[in-house]
Amino acid sequence: MDSARKASPVNGPSIKNLHERLNRLEDILASAAAMKLDVRVPVTEDDELASTEEAINVLLEDFSALLTERRQAERELQAKLQTIQRQQDAINELSTPVIKVWEGLLVLPIIGTLDSQRTLRMMESLLQQIVATGSRMAILDITGVPVVDTMVANHLIKTITAAGLMGAECILSGISPTIAQTIVHLGIDLTGIKTKSTMQEAMRYAIRANGQKIVTVKPVEDEAGPEESRADE
Amino acid sequence: MNEPSVVSKIPIIKLGRYLLVPIQVDMTDHMVGDLQTSVLEAIERTGAKGVLIDISVLEMVDSFIGRTLSGIARMAAIMDAAVVIVGMQPAVAITLVELGLEMKGIDYALNIENGMTLLNQRLREIDL
Amino acid sequence: MIAADHEEVLERVPLKAEIDIVHIRQLVRQRAKQYGMGLVDQTRITTAASEILRNMYVHADGGEATISAVSVQGRRGLLVTCQDQGPGIPDIQLAMQDGYSTADSLGCGLPGAGRLVDRLELASTVGRGTTVQLLKYLP
Repeated sequence: MDSARKASPVNGPSIKNLHERLNRLEDILASAAAMKLDVRVPVTEDDELASTEEAINVLLEDFSALLTERRQAERELQAKLQTIQRQQDAINELSTPVIKVWEGLLVLPIIGTLDSQRTLRMMESLLQQIVATGSRMAILDITGVPVVDTMVANHLIKTITAAGLMGAECILSGISPTIAQTIVHLGIDLTGIKTKSTMQEAMRYAIRANGQKIVTVKPVEDEAGPEESRADE
Repeated sequence: MNEPSVVSKIPIIKLGRYLLVPIQVDMTDHMVGDLQTSVLEAIERTGAKGVLIDISVLEMVDSFIGRTLSGIARMAAIMDAAVVIVGMQPAVAITLVELGLEMKGIDYALNIENGMTLLNQRLREIDL
Repeated sequence: MIAADHEEVLERVPLKAEIDIVHIRQLVRQRAKQYGMGLVDQTRITTAASEILRNMYVHADGGEATISAVSVQGRRGLLVTCQDQGPGIPDIQLAMQDGYSTADSLGCGLPGAGRLVDRLELASTVGRGTTVQLLKYLP
């Protein structure tokens, strides 16, 4: 709107619409500072200021691209973090499964290092399952537990004692020679707690204690019909 | 001394040669003490050989209740009856262990059915 | 004793009759549940409260119980305070030992209760009275 005022020629040729264009540049730079990067300077003249205007447009272009990249990267990071959390949850669930092997018997295969939190969760889960399934026996297998310290041992003992108060017997299995030595060295008292070195032994005990046994059934040849006699042994 | 104005009695039910005591209310100390007396009197009256105390509805067992139950078991044993506590809730069991209370002379069972099986077993052992 | 940055009193109940022990511990359970404590933690603080309340009833002939929602060093928790004007505890160290028992009660009262909560604080003056605080942090 300004009339083309001739700037006093102090240095170099005059620049058309200087004030207008400077104002516009200010506005656009302010927009950019406010993260509104979809603005560009309209370049209509072909003078010294024009090259600055173009340079600013290039800058805005670059910034815009960078910002888009960054936002994309943030979204991907968020998605990855969510995946990690989901996987962590899945690991937590998997790592403390309580398996109903058959009527009245639960098996809790404990794998990995036990910390206080995990052990408490495991304890509550087992006790709840005992009630839910009405199981009188549970095998806690620690074959997959590398280290047993006093805290872990105490939590296990607490779980087993609590189960006893509820009317269920727990058998501790998978005790390696190393863990057996640790337990004695730490002065941990396992009196009253049934222990077996392997899960197999524990299962055998549980079956016997339930008044049952496993029997091998001899294979018998199929009966073809009433006329045929059975080819029995 | 103030007595509770409303006293509800815990029922004692005869189940064959056993007694079933279902505890379904939050008991005052007075009720707990009465329970001990009632159970022992019922054992004498019926000649029961076993007592099933059902605490499946109890949300809390503190040291007083625990010690009284232990007492009931010891006294019942002297009168030739076994005591089985039935249906302890997981939260109660965990808390009792942490409390450090040792309740001697008591058997525990998941439910009444298991409790009766246990009592039958105990009696067979004694009869042998 | 426990210094709370912020305390909101939820219940203030006198303990006069034996039935108040049941009444107050039920209030503790209700508040613990209301404030989001898991079932086992609810049971822990209710049981601990029952121990302390009974102590107060048996030894001090009653007193007052307060249940508050507190913030201690930035962590939210439930605070149960039992205050009486009873005979006081002459030897607190002894009372806090497992297996200590007086003529007509409670071996496990104090140390047992202490194991069930995050903090147990006790102040007592012989001839004046006793105050016991039980703090359990909220999830």
